[in-house]
Amino acid sequence: MSEELRLSARETRGKPGVRRYAMVIDLRRCIGCDACMVACKAEYDVPLGVFRTWVPYRVVGKYPTVKKQFLPRLCNHCDDPPCVRSCPVGATYKVEDGGFVLQDYDRCIGCKACMASCPYNARFMLPEHRTRSNITSVVDKCTFCHHRVVQGLVPACVQTCVGRARVFGDINDPSSEVSRLVARHATQVLRPEQGTKPQVFYIGADRNMTEYGRDVYDAREALDDERAVFNRNHTI
Amino acid sequence: MLDYSVFHTIAWPSPYAWYFFVIGISVALFFFSALSWYREEFRPLRHSAFYLSFGLLVLGGLLLIGDLSQPMRFLNMVNPAYLNFDSPLAWGSLNLVAFGLVSVVYFVFLRKGEQVNAKRLAVAGALLGFGLPIYTGFDLTVHQHRAVWNTPLMPVLFVSLSLVSGAAVASFLAKGPEKLVSMLRSFMLWGGGATAAMLVSLLGTTAYGGSGSEVTFMFMTSGTMGLIFIGLGMVVGLAAPIALLLAPVGRQPIGIMAAGGLLLVGGMALRYAILIGPQIVHTYY
Ligand code: SF4
Ligand code: SF4
Repeated sequence: MSEELRLSARETRGKPGVRRYAMVIDLRRCIGCDACMVACKAEYDVPLGVFRTWVPYRVVGKYPTVKKQFLPRLCNHCDDPPCVRSCPVGATYKVEDGGFVLQDYDRCIGCKACMASCPYNARFMLPEHRTRSNITSVVDKCTFCHHRVVQGLVPACVQTCVGRARVFGDINDPSSEVSRLVARHATQVLRPEQGTKPQVFYIGADRNMTEYGRDVYDAREALDDERAVFNRNHTI
Repeated sequence: MLDYSVFHTIAWPSPYAWYFFVIGISVALFFFSALSWYREEFRPLRHSAFYLSFGLLVLGGLLLIGDLSQPMRFLNMVNPAYLNFDSPLAWGSLNLVAFGLVSVVYFVFLRKGEQVNAKRLAVAGALLGFGLPIYTGFDLTVHQHRAVWNTPLMPVLFVSLSLVSGAAVASFLAKGPEKLVSMLRSFMLWGGGATAAMLVSLLGTTAYGGSGSEVTFMFMTSGTMGLIFIGLGMVVGLAAPIALLLAPVGRQPIGIMAAGGLLLVGGMALRYAILIGPQIVHTYY
């Protein structure tokens, strides 16, 4: 079977003639400075309490040799995105050339089916009132900085990353940096068993960190603090 | 698992559970009205069940629209230029509209006494109606990463819950005829039994799934969610009414109505727990 025949209608990785943007995040380089989160917030005026990219962590080791393992997160711009499939009105769509999964804010009815179907929590509801934008009460998410990439720039988080942990490029181009990194290093994607074919590749991710663990049942205080603050400030 | 992550909200909050509840009853009541054309004992329910079904359908539609964050755009759901037929929600919205239209015409025929047309429409309406709990189930089933939802049981479970809750409401509408009351009792008993069997197998597979499933099982069977799911849903809302219906008093109208009340409490609790429970683990990820 040829490579082309094995591709579903939606998948564009390996498809001749189109770009398929991807991100590689080298966790050995991430220092958890959260500059990417701040750059993203500034780029889009992302409201309080919701994030297009976020950097959770886990503390590993035993005192005195402890360290934090960071796992920067964002929309994976999946090659076979369940969010696109589940949107009843086509307000979530995938761009053929580039593979961006984007939102049509004027069409979204706010049914939240896409939020329910994303295995990565990449989507959130925008609040009713915003100061500097009239895009409100619709679902939003990371766009891989589509508006920057079409102008030849890299996403804001990649631009700002001080450790150069985030690398962005066209994985359909074998000579791009992302292609070379994916070819040379063992990489992991989040929840590969879901068949979504994520296009954010991690170098050095530990599956203990990326899986649901039973310890979520005894959630850390920090998580519940966050939940309490969120509940106080948001009605969804 | 992470020591720190930003908090994520659940996608579908409780109004959806109310929608499932209301629409499930509406569909079953329409079915009983339709059945009245073929089974004489259901004749007393023909009008009353249909009118209530229609009222609940309107309420369900309003609940669904009200939960959209852009309620004024609800017409996008039936705009052929926008519809995405990969999404069960798209099929569901068409099904809902078609059921609503059939209900309106059925109403007109009933008022005018056009028996032949009303009978034909009753069959079409009942078939379309059962499409609603079926699509509700598919709506949940298609989310491949969610334990409990992603099982083939969901559409069948929602049909069964619909029949049980509908029969429970109909038992309050059916004033008297012994044969009708006994038929409704059978619906409650067999539907309740089937629901219980499905839930037990669902719990079994969830408890022995991967870590995401197991944690979902733990969230759904402990704390407040456990009280709602196991306590209200399975014990008070299924086991107790089934026991009541099997007891001698369960053959009297009063016993059947009491069981009906419990089944309604259970039906709502189960829909709530099945909707919300499997979303909890995700908020920590
Ligand atoms: S990560 Fe979620 S939102 Fe992004 S493309 Fe994949 S399924 Fe869609
Ligand atoms: S919330 Fe908007 S983008 Fe998401 S599935 Fe519904 S209509 Fe589509």
